[in-house]
Amino acid sequence: MERRVVITSCAAITPIGRTKDEIIHHLINGVSGVKPLRDDGLLTQHMHSRVFGTVDYPIEYDFKRQFKKTMGPVSYYACQVAKEVLENSGLTQDFISSGKLGVAFGSTHGSPTSQREIYRCFFSESNAKLSSIGAVDYLKSMVHTTAANITKMFSIKGRVISSSTACTTSSQSIGFGYEMVKYGLQDAMLCGGADEYDTTTVAVFDNLLACSTRYNQTPHLTPRPFDVQRDGLVVGEGAGAILLEDYTMAKKRGATILAEIIGFSCNNNGGDLILPSLDGISETMRLGLENAKISPDAVDCISAHATSTKIGDVIEAQAIDRVYGNHPVVVGLKSYTGHTMGSCGAIETIIQLYMMEKGFIPKTLNLDKIDERCAMIQHATQVMEKDIRISSVQNFAFGGVNTCLIFKKHQ
Amino acid sequence: MTREEIKSAILNMFKEIFEIDNPGLDDNLREMYQFDSIDAIELIREIERLVGSELNLEEKDQAMGIRTINQIIMYVESLFEARSIRVN
Repeated sequence: MERRVVITSCAAITPIGRTKDEIIHHLINGVSGVKPLRDDGLLTQHMHSRVFGTVDYPIEYDFKRQFKKTMGPVSYYACQVAKEVLENSGLTQDFISSGKLGVAFGSTHGSPTSQREIYRCFFSESNAKLSSIGAVDYLKSMVHTTAANITKMFSIKGRVISSSTACTTSSQSIGFGYEMVKYGLQDAMLCGGADEYDTTTVAVFDNLLACSTRYNQTPHLTPRPFDVQRDGLVVGEGAGAILLEDYTMAKKRGATILAEIIGFSCNNNGGDLILPSLDGISETMRLGLENAKISPDAVDCISAHATSTKIGDVIEAQAIDRVYGNHPVVVGLKSYTGHTMGSCGAIETIIQLYMMEKGFIPKTLNLDKIDERCAMIQHATQVMEKDIRISSVQNFAFGGVNTCLIFKKHQ
Repeated sequence: MTREEIKSAILNMFKEIFEIDNPGLDDNLREMYQFDSIDAIELIREIERLVGSELNLEEKDQAMGIRTINQIIMYVESLFEARSIRVN
């Protein structure tokens, strides 16, 4: 059995806002969400990169105590977007708790803020004991803390998938959720990802010389996907969630259909854990098209992974050229948000939904002069009106994991 | 500590840490405030701070059967007594 799978609700917390209107405003007007890196009093002073895709607006949470006690910052983000998705979905609590709704949600490494609290007692000169580790510290920090807290807060009793594959975390969530519904294992899936602010994440990339460092005084000018002056990625924070459901069920209950997912692929480079692979990511794109049963010409717009690393962008452009040629318009949405890590696939999917609905493609921010090695594909150098019928979101992660999601506008 | 001081410390603990304001002394904490096993573990940690020493496994097991504020107060009193600290 293969069922059609549609998206019927979405919500995001991003460095360029939370609501559809806020996010579209930033995209249309070319406003970046990259700001100076917040000081954690620990590592920031040692780092070369001092920029961050920042969620700096207040979020009023109204979670009850029995939920908050097992939540680190990453779960606050995750539960907030999950709450908005479910509230807007029109699903009944009976269905939500029926076992027919599952959760696919992850983060890069749980809650590093909570992990830091655990380890503090080992390195502190204070009178640390075993009891210095709180009963809930593991629940706050564990890799599947976002998914687990979502299931608890909303009494969700279906399957739980919690991928933690760095930059492909939430695109895997969406892809694996899609397969759950497509093959009839669940009728609906709440999918997404989240990552909280933490400088250890920045430090990982800083140590690998992958972070942007030349724009510390002008954060809005970085990252610069495909630009000749790009100098690395900018880590960010945020969350995104979408609701996937069986098309027949969505139609029957009169749900608003935002788009259909028609394809997903995921593979691994089978080699280097850091460097992207031209063959690996080209194959992901090819497999995605095969899964969607469409030709490359059918894709109008690609949301590229485009982190702005010196090598990564070149290889991605080569792969797009190899698979698609210069037909689809390619946009690098991280130029607005920075690299929101485990949430980037979900956030970029949600932005794609807004682009489809409104019929536009934003320009890739800071793409002032295209690197000639990336110039063979069609870049979004200015905001344009465009009827996007089919779009693709592609993400590639440390560990060699690649994903490609393909969406179709609902007519 | 006196019984009143223990009571005050416990009620303050419930207000500040568990966000439960002025529970009845004989209220069933699980039924009325969703005070669950995770909270009980947190409570043990706070009680260790209050009595100034770690609890042994037997003492911790005893704590898991507690359901009311009055039971907590009696439990803490017994811990002080076991540590030869005079309760007035």
